[in-house]
Amino acid sequence: MEHILEVKNLHVSFDTFAGEVQAVRGVDIKLNKGETLAIVGESGSGKSVTSKSIMRLIPNPPGRITEGQILFQGKDLAKYSERQMQQVRGSEISMIFQDPMTSLNPTMTVGKQIMEGLRIHQKMSKSQATARAIELLKLVGIPNAEARLKQYPHQFSGGMRQRVVIAIALACNPKILIADEPTTALDVTIQAQILELMKDLQDKTGTAIILITHDLGVVANAAQRVAVMYGGQIVETGTVDEIFYKPKHPYTWGLLASMPKLGASDTDLIAIPGSPPDLSDPPKGCPFAARCPHAMKVCVDHMPDHTEVSGSHKAACWLLDERAPKVEKPVEASVGGAR
Amino acid sequence: MATREKLVEVKNLKKYFNMGKGQMLKAVDDVSFDIYKGETLGLVGESGCGKSTTGRTIIRLYGATDGSVTFNGEDVHGKKNKAKLKEFNRKMQMIFQDPYASLNPRMTVKDIIAEGIDIHGLAKTKEERLQRVHELLETVGLNKEHANRYPHEFSGGQRQRIGIARALAVDPDFIIADEPISALDVSIQAQVVNLLQKLQRERGLTYLFIAHDLSMVKHISDRVGVMYLGNLVELTESDTLYNEPLHPYTQALLSAIPVPDPELERSRERIILEGDVPSPVSPPSGCRFRTRCPHAMDVCAKVAPKWQEAREGHYVACHLYDEELKEN
Repeated sequence: MEHILEVKNLHVSFDTFAGEVQAVRGVDIKLNKGETLAIVGESGSGKSVTSKSIMRLIPNPPGRITEGQILFQGKDLAKYSERQMQQVRGSEISMIFQDPMTSLNPTMTVGKQIMEGLRIHQKMSKSQATARAIELLKLVGIPNAEARLKQYPHQFSGGMRQRVVIAIALACNPKILIADEPTTALDVTIQAQILELMKDLQDKTGTAIILITHDLGVVANAAQRVAVMYGGQIVETGTVDEIFYKPKHPYTWGLLASMPKLGASDTDLIAIPGSPPDLSDPPKGCPFAARCPHAMKVCVDHMPDHTEVSGSHKAACWLLDERAPKVEKPVEASVGGAR
Repeated sequence: MATREKLVEVKNLKKYFNMGKGQMLKAVDDVSFDIYKGETLGLVGESGCGKSTTGRTIIRLYGATDGSVTFNGEDVHGKKNKAKLKEFNRKMQMIFQDPYASLNPRMTVKDIIAEGIDIHGLAKTKEERLQRVHELLETVGLNKEHANRYPHEFSGGQRQRIGIARALAVDPDFIIADEPISALDVSIQAQVVNLLQKLQRERGLTYLFIAHDLSMVKHISDRVGVMYLGNLVELTESDTLYNEPLHPYTQALLSAIPVPDPELERSRERIILEGDVPSPVSPPSGCRFRTRCPHAMDVCAKVAPKWQEAREGHYVACHLYDEELKEN
């Protein structure tokens, strides 16, 4: 398959008063054309920093990419100047942010904000841009588009604002859409509307989506492939089916087991004890070792390599080493059993 | 069911907020339900449905506009002298949503937890006070070295544990937990929920658990009430609610939750509601859900549906289950 984006060994650090915080530590991502890749993880796992680095939106200082490449269509975005990046942002790669209440400019009409990108990137005339903006609003399901164009963000509800943000992101037919927790601030019934819209638009435009979320339900609903992040690293990648039905990493097991299941009877949730590592002083070995019920001596001192489970499925865990004891995933971690 | 003892009785509770210019925001409009001793009642709904206002009115953080709340046979909103009010406050406690905002950053954990103990004079000496704080910290899974630290030194999950310890300090019977886990990560959520359930088993606590995350509410609750735009639309045992939801809103809400199971997700038929929740300042006439309801009938615009027991222990407010209408 053709990779539209390839992130190689990305390291991102932030300089703080307490020292250097290594938020992302060696992340590899391959994004195929037209697919949805979900990046899941808890707060502080580095998923948002990874996505912002791709857009080069990490403020410098204090943040910087210390190592690695971001290959987009064969060119390394990590080496682009700010000017060059401006050509990419919004036209080749665009982004949807978590909070639709703050990602729109309250002093500009919605129409002007949609047309901004069209006028700059595609050099459209005002009338062309207006026509396209109306078309986009209709595409994202906003009724009465002509009148809505002249309104300000505060006149829209949360779900409607997120639709506007999606319209802005899709205005220039980007090749990649990065959606950072696009539905987290929305209610479930609105979330269902937005997820449906995003899938529908992907079918129409063929845009590849990187979906950042902490909600495994959203992942199961919207993604084809999943990367699980923990402590600034990707610990497991695979297709949705592989991650949900045949997970190999104990963190993924824990994550799946700690979700309550709608159909299941009442048992205690399987909590993961402890809390994520402090990345200003990252552990030498596997970041999950301190919370892992299967941790061995080697885990504390040495970072495991990514072991290939199948062509599309990789996990970074010492349990997959041939010398390790055989540990099967606990039954509770299986979603299949809950049905 | 009938033999179970009622701890809290909410009757026709209303809470309106004056918006000025003669406008009233009807945050909670005529809600009635009971909470039995030792159970967990879940309250779910989308933002703005009035679930938090209901919780806050029950504990008298807001005065009720109309209706009554009875706790252990006593009227919560009635006139009380200071001593009586103090006694009442001890029996009912609250855990808040945001563990970052609900702890005073200038107080040590010890003083935060002991504030209730001091007010109610539950400890006679300094040693006894410290002893209790240490016990409470251990109960919620922290250790006593944490007592002299400040809230900023803790993670979100740990702060929520401090909030729980504070609520437990005065030995309450009833705890209102208003979105206690919404601000936490998934793996930490499970820790806090397990802790709440453990405490309930050990101390026989009664919970009102308010949240928008239906799967978590189902997990922790014995019975669940669903709210929409200030009204309670359905209330029943949590398994029944999830297996046989009666109200169209509950059905839509359940079908909208994405489940962490890709195969099921691919095959699922979703009821996707159109539009947004209307403003509670000028709610639709009749049934408030009718503007988004896939089954709306003419009568729904005219008459507000009655709160009725459609099946045993299964309450619903919807014209679809109106016996009188069916006969006509």
